[in-house]
Amino acid sequence: MSLFHPDRCMVRLLAAFTLLFAMPVLADSNRLLLRDGEREIALSVDELRARADVEFRFFDPYLAEEADIRGLVFRELLVKHFGEVPSRLHFEAWDDYDVTLAGWDDPDWILVTHQNGEPLTLRHRGPLRLVERDYGDRDPANLRNFNDWIWMIRRIEAVW
Amino acid sequence: MVEPSQPLRRHVRWLWLSVMSFTTLMLLIAYQTRWVYPEIHAYFSQAGNLTGQQLATRARVYLQQGLDLLLSLPRDSDTRERAHFQIKLAYSLFDIGLYRRDYPCTEPSLAAMDDLLTRLQGSDALETDHLRENLLKPMHCLTQIEMHQLDRRSAVTAEFVEQTRRHQGQVLFGSLVIFVSGLGFWLMHELQRRRAARSARESLEWMAKALCDPLTGVGNRSAMHDDVTAAGGAPMGLLLVDIDYFKQYNDSLGHPDGDRLLRRLVQLIEDNLEREARLYRLGGDEFAVLFVCHDDEILSATCRNLVESLRAANLPHPSHPHSDHVTFSVGAVRFNASHAELEAGYAAADTALYQVKARGRDGWAVAALDTSEMSG
Repeated sequence: MSLFHPDRCMVRLLAAFTLLFAMPVLADSNRLLLRDGEREIALSVDELRARADVEFRFFDPYLAEEADIRGLVFRELLVKHFGEVPSRLHFEAWDDYDVTLAGWDDPDWILVTHQNGEPLTLRHRGPLRLVERDYGDRDPANLRNFNDWIWMIRRIEAVW
Repeated sequence: MVEPSQPLRRHVRWLWLSVMSFTTLMLLIAYQTRWVYPEIHAYFSQAGNLTGQQLATRARVYLQQGLDLLLSLPRDSDTRERAHFQIKLAYSLFDIGLYRRDYPCTEPSLAAMDDLLTRLQGSDALETDHLRENLLKPMHCLTQIEMHQLDRRSAVTAEFVEQTRRHQGQVLFGSLVIFVSGLGFWLMHELQRRRAARSARESLEWMAKALCDPLTGVGNRSAMHDDVTAAGGAPMGLLLVDIDYFKQYNDSLGHPDGDRLLRRLVQLIEDNLEREARLYRLGGDEFAVLFVCHDDEILSATCRNLVESLRAANLPHPSHPHSDHVTFSVGAVRFNASHAELEAGYAAADTALYQVKARGRDGWAVAALDTSEMSG
């Protein structure tokens, strides 16, 4: 059976045209963009992976299993590139999810680059992901408790 | 016998229990509003965050977008790359431990998507069967997950609503019990308070009665002693007033008339004295008058005025041996108010009174604590 029926060709063309503008731009997922006002810094994800120096094992509620995690202390990265920890941060993800959250002056937040020894990719909610090293007594069976974890991070903007 | 402190303790205990009940009620209301609200918020305010929209829904949308791209023309490398990106996003949102664990269609669906991603990276042609197996089946699985998750969410919500309803019923019942208890405790407190007030009032009335002469309504000997003690060393004048031949009055006219004479005498003495003076019946026909008095002249003038006003009253006495009217004898003294001086002053005034009686009655005499004397 052919994929392309002549009767529907025009409709599909229109749909494809619409999608061209609707879906995320296929940019380089090997970069993390940091923005502070007019200043924008592009960080290489490979470089971040190389700098990842925090390793631990924890129960990932989204994976529902134990995982070996490697990454960087997010707070230190913010201080290094923004001078200090901004009061709030605006995140954009590769799946177009965006959110603004506060409370990042906490060394418990880890910018994850590796999981179980493998670099994170888009297929594994990467290339960069923010998790809390210690999420206390929150029930990992209830994913609502981890709404502030951010996946597939593409851009971080300081909101002062 | 009940100790005086016990009613007070009971009184305070009921009040304390009442206050505690209403405080507990307030705490319960605060708990209800302060701590239950965040739970409602957690259940019903998930819009706009990571799990506000189901991950399965988001994965299905990316799969649909990928499918649309793969059904479009031209099927060049750019289109395949875009579709690859969409399916990767879908895979990422689909690959959740919860879905793998609870939905058996997840593993084969992820494997099928993985296969499609591999094909898209190569140059293999895509046929309808590939899309049906590698996209439509995962989409079907995701739809199943969405529907089941919605059902679960509805069930959880219904359970939460039921729990909340039950909880509210319990809180309402508890509040009513606490409120009624608080009212009961307050009522007990109020009854206790009224009983204590009545008891105190009765005690005061009995104390007043104990210091009062029932026939004439003036103070008795105890009241005089209390008043002298209360005066605290002030210079006082004491008058002892005695009706002459009162026994004969009673014998001839009867005791009821004798009682009337006593009451009349009280009225006459009170009318004649200054407002600050106090009158006491010491017993029988003997009365005492106490007033603040700084010198003997005033004391003498008071005696004189009193005797003259009583003479002027012309009260008839049918069995008086020397007169047609009731006559009086008065003995007086000045002293500084104290228990010891009252004893001495009373004795001196009594002596003066008997001197008047010895002289033929119907007169007055003032004694001094240093034994000097004036009379009239």
